[in-house]
Amino acid sequence: MIGRRGWVSLASVAAMLLLWFVVTTATGLVSPGRFPSPADFWQSLSQIATRGYAGGALANHAFHSLRLVVLGFLVAIATGVPLGLWMGWSRRAEAAINPIFLIIRPIPPLAWIPLAILWLGLGDAAKIMVIWFAAFVPSVINSFAGVRSIDRPIIEAARMLGTPRWRLISEVIAPAASPMIFTGLRLSLQAAWTTLVAAELVGALVGIGFVLNMAQQDIYPGMILVGMVTVGVLGWATTMLLGRVERRALAWNVAGRD
Amino acid sequence: MGSIRFDKVDKVFGPRGSGVKALDDINLEIGEKEFVAIVGPSGCGKTTCLRMVAGFEPPSAGTVSVNGKAVTRPGPDRAVVFQQFALFPWKTVRENIELGLRNKNLPKSERDGLVAGALKLMNLESHAGAFPHQLSGGMQQRVAIARAYVLDPEVLLMDEPFGALDAQTRVVMQEELVRLARVNPRTVLFITHAVEEAVYLADRVAIMTRRPGRIKEVLDIRSVREAENWDRLQKIEDVMDLESFVHLRTQIWKSLREEKGAHGV
Repeated sequence: MIGRRGWVSLASVAAMLLLWFVVTTATGLVSPGRFPSPADFWQSLSQIATRGYAGGALANHAFHSLRLVVLGFLVAIATGVPLGLWMGWSRRAEAAINPIFLIIRPIPPLAWIPLAILWLGLGDAAKIMVIWFAAFVPSVINSFAGVRSIDRPIIEAARMLGTPRWRLISEVIAPAASPMIFTGLRLSLQAAWTTLVAAELVGALVGIGFVLNMAQQDIYPGMILVGMVTVGVLGWATTMLLGRVERRALAWNVAGRD
Repeated sequence: MGSIRFDKVDKVFGPRGSGVKALDDINLEIGEKEFVAIVGPSGCGKTTCLRMVAGFEPPSAGTVSVNGKAVTRPGPDRAVVFQQFALFPWKTVRENIELGLRNKNLPKSERDGLVAGALKLMNLESHAGAFPHQLSGGMQQRVAIARAYVLDPEVLLMDEPFGALDAQTRVVMQEELVRLARVNPRTVLFITHAVEEAVYLADRVAIMTRRPGRIKEVLDIRSVREAENWDRLQKIEDVMDLESFVHLRTQIWKSLREEKGAHGV
């Protein structure tokens, strides 16, 4: 099942692991105080997985973070995709919303953290809000661009067939824009993971961000790396899952596939 | 039911006054169940004529009416077959054909019967579950024609429907369309730049001038076809060999060539 490109990817990962071993353990080029060796990493991983760290086992922290990302992402696409479709479809909606959007967009999602805490306190709600803001923007922009890139004859054909407004949106506009919408979803998911750790650095008592925060205070490089790798693995797994949904939803779109 | 009328129609693109005049005083009547082809040099506005009947573009002056009623918007009484097919790629062949019937709120049992009939008419029965990208260009255009025919429209608007097909497929589709037009005649406005196609398919051919497009002359093909009994011949190349066909084709060519005039070709 592994093709030629698959082997290249595997070899690349293996080479990176080997390099890591060589510079930290075999040659001692990098001291363990600066970057953990594979053995440190393994020891930290087994500690947090079995006995726990920062108030919980790895599975607890990971589950909590995953939940925040998924909720923030879902709220972002449930609001961002319809808004983007609407702006794409209606020039008037674009004229009304775009100026506001252009001013809000350059504000880094993390700059919303103080306000989010002021409004919603230190609990999960504030973190979900920050993730939502971060993931919202790519969903809006790509859904908007998706509608604007639809070939005119497709819409004319639907109107010629007497398609009523709601069906036009759900059965023509949305599917025609869906390759771009999925591009937006992938970027949104990425933005959600990128924002997670920062959101969890403030006032969290559980989660990967909290683990990273504690490990920094304990000067514990092995655990810092465990936290980082956990985010990487979870991000990769959710992106894979989204890719699977996309391939299924866009089975008709032969041009968009490899 | 099913007449089209252009009455003193002008079309200007761009701002009024400084825009480009695309059509100038178009007057044309297409009768019930008549097949009229418009030919003309590219950019003469022939496609714009069709788009106004479809309701995609309003005329700048004059009226375009169907059955005596001015056209204001697109609708299933005026089915369009586009040059680039314009199928919905995320819908199967069956779903593409069925959409217009669902929009008419027909019950499922009735829709199934009509879709089955359209699939059979266009020889698409074995492809009902396929997606458009799995079909050849000719097959895709069959689906588009089936999607239009199944609506039982009063008029059928065809905008260079075979222009994107290869030569062999085009011939097959032209023969098929003649078969359809004879079995199930309806009012057709057909846009093309292929003179032979126009003479082969149409009852009348309207020749347009260069921009701003005007109707230069309208040739009666039907009386010649019936007098010479073209329909006895099955194959398009046999019809094209007939002296009466060659005569009409040459007449249209000469008329078009005058239009190209100084620009040659």
